[in-house]
Amino acid sequence: MTHEIVFDKPAARREKLITELYQSAFPTVAKYISKMGGSFDDAKDIFQDALVIYYEKAVNSDLSLHNSEKAYLLGIAKHLWFKKFKGDRHNLPLDSCTKDFDVTDETEDQPSGVKLMRYLETAGKKCMELLSAFYYHKLPMKDLADLFGYAGERSATVQKYKCIEKVRETVKEQSLAYEDFIE
Amino acid sequence: MRTSLNEIKEIDDHVLGQTAPDEALLFEAKLIINPGLTYKVMWHKQTLALVQQYGRNSLKAEIETVQQKLFSLPEHAGFRQKIMRLFLKR
Repeated sequence: MTHEIVFDKPAARREKLITELYQSAFPTVAKYISKMGGSFDDAKDIFQDALVIYYEKAVNSDLSLHNSEKAYLLGIAKHLWFKKFKGDRHNLPLDSCTKDFDVTDETEDQPSGVKLMRYLETAGKKCMELLSAFYYHKLPMKDLADLFGYAGERSATVQKYKCIEKVRETVKEQSLAYEDFIE
Repeated sequence: MRTSLNEIKEIDDHVLGQTAPDEALLFEAKLIINPGLTYKVMWHKQTLALVQQYGRNSLKAEIETVQQKLFSLPEHAGFRQKIMRLFLKR
């Protein structure tokens, strides 16, 4: 009955990682934000965004950031603080670097994005879980098969493409409906 | 895999830049002669953007859960006090 344990593994691993990062780096970040005149909520918001950036960087590169995680998180936090409160639009010397640090929600740009996301969170939850495990958390196919109870990598791969087909169909319907609407 | 899934695999490889060099040219050619494929590539990209956003939303929720645990459970009282002290003075 190891299956139940396996099922929670990546999420449990992430929780452990996030907790460790909080304990090691949040005090330094909070101290900096406090020194700069920010509130506890500012420190919290900035640190949470910094964690997202750190996580995405870590899963997207083989580069191990483990030894310098504290310095890295503080660096991102300083940048985010600058951008949020001190950033003058006409005077941003690091403009070319900001695209790496962008945590803008992509769906907000699209008129129907929020509605579509809400729909997918309910009707397509299983597929969205599977797809995000692969494309966002970058879990290997083998782990994905174990996690979602597929016989092997091959059937998990087939399921992944079926899920893309399903979600894509929803995206397509939405975009066609929107085109009708603006015409 | 059925044909439509094979096509999705091809599109996925293309979008992720994982198409083998000899097949890449073929795919470019298909894009030119088949306008429907261009749409499929576009919807595919939008799908992956949604998946990315979905993953990010769940990560944010997980981070918030950890934050709430650290700032409410008795075993983290020391950590909590250390942080709150930083914001007391003003």
